[in-house]
Amino acid sequence: MILNTLSMTMIFIGALSVLLAMWGGISSFALYKKWRKPLTPEEKTSLEDRSYLVLLIMVVVLMIRLINWPLFYGTLQSFISDIEGAMCIFGVTQVKPGLTRFLEFLKPLNFFLIGGWLILHVLDRATKTSPLMRRKLFLLSIISLLVLIDSLGDIFLILGIAPESLVSCCTTVTDISNRPTRTMPLSIFGPEYIYSLQVLFFTTHIALIGFVGLSLTFGKTFLRQRLILGLLILFSFLNAILFLLSQIEIFAPAMMHLPFHHCLYCLWQYVPDSIAMYLLFIMGTFSVGWGFTTELFGRVGEAVDLLPNYLKKIYSFAFFSLSASLILLILHLMVD
Amino acid sequence: MKLKKGWVFFSAIIMIILAFGCKKSDTPGRCDYDGAKIEPTYTVYFTLQDGTERKFCSIICASMSFRELKRQIIEVMVVDEVSEKKINASQAFFVESEVITTLHVRNRIHVFSNREDAERHLKRFYGRWVENPFRQSVE
Repeated sequence: MILNTLSMTMIFIGALSVLLAMWGGISSFALYKKWRKPLTPEEKTSLEDRSYLVLLIMVVVLMIRLINWPLFYGTLQSFISDIEGAMCIFGVTQVKPGLTRFLEFLKPLNFFLIGGWLILHVLDRATKTSPLMRRKLFLLSIISLLVLIDSLGDIFLILGIAPESLVSCCTTVTDISNRPTRTMPLSIFGPEYIYSLQVLFFTTHIALIGFVGLSLTFGKTFLRQRLILGLLILFSFLNAILFLLSQIEIFAPAMMHLPFHHCLYCLWQYVPDSIAMYLLFIMGTFSVGWGFTTELFGRVGEAVDLLPNYLKKIYSFAFFSLSASLILLILHLMVD
Repeated sequence: MKLKKGWVFFSAIIMIILAFGCKKSDTPGRCDYDGAKIEPTYTVYFTLQDGTERKFCSIICASMSFRELKRQIIEVMVVDEVSEKKINASQAFFVESEVITTLHVRNRIHVFSNREDAERHLKRFYGRWVENPFRQSVE
């Protein structure tokens, strides 16, 4: 184990999350089952009190888990100097490649689910009768399970990364000519794939901003159409894939001034403000998804009246974040 | 009013990030392939047709760049591991051995200006002769 402030924080947060996620997950599932049964007013009050306590504690845990995603990369970054052969986060990920890759997939999923759940919680809190309580408790029990897996993964990873491990770094993996991020667009667009990919990314990104803007302009009636919001989330997913491909193949090398190097971890290291661009992009893309999940789960009882206003806020945030990330990218490319 | 506030917030974020981030980042002493820190003993230099110079942290990075820059290169210089002097790649001896020079790319190719030094390294570290990886630029 490599001991530093960040690794200690990760272990501490991980251990705390394991305990509270287990307790929170079991409690919320038990409460979810009880919530359905007919109860006396005293029992109902007791159940509500218990539910609010569980929710209060779990909200704090989930907020910490939101921070855990960037903290995870911060911790891996802090290990670089202790791993032989690592020059960026990629090298550190090679010490425990399987577990690290698993966590790298799980963390964004958890971030999305937690964010979506917190929005539902805020929506429910704005009502007087808590119509979303049962759904919230059920979803919380699922999220708790994922948080538990994530936290255990964090602990095992941090404990398992031995100092002075010997690894190869990104250059010998991300820059080989048969990397999938090159061969896939090459097979679709041909040798001029760089130009096509660039045009396609800008088109889809601007179109996504446009669609989100349209949904805001058309207001309540548009936002209530679940199918349209579902299509929007699919489109934002497609845009995210194109963003990733074009970043690896085109924009990251350009921003780093290293035309043949395609490592995104190196980009974050050499051009730190690109992290802000990524953060805005992630928040924008996830907000589109959060809009959909809020519509999907939040359409119950009293919450129905509040929903359009909440959706408008979520999609406004998506609009701002996606626009800001695009502007940052364009300005970077122009200045560089 | 709310929308205006949003735009002010949005513009502020952009301005702050730009103020901190958008400056040309020159990286002296860094590899022109992957940005890694360069050890002078293992540096490889390319001189391009436009007069500019590119430097690389290892034979691996240099040969990966060589594939892309082949047509623009007019001279390749490498550093003799023993004397640490720059020599033309066409005059150097290349040995691949168990010893790794640049960890992050696991480069095992060593450069010598003197055949005896190369043979000594080859015997000591179970090496083998390898061809000049930048041969085509000389032709």
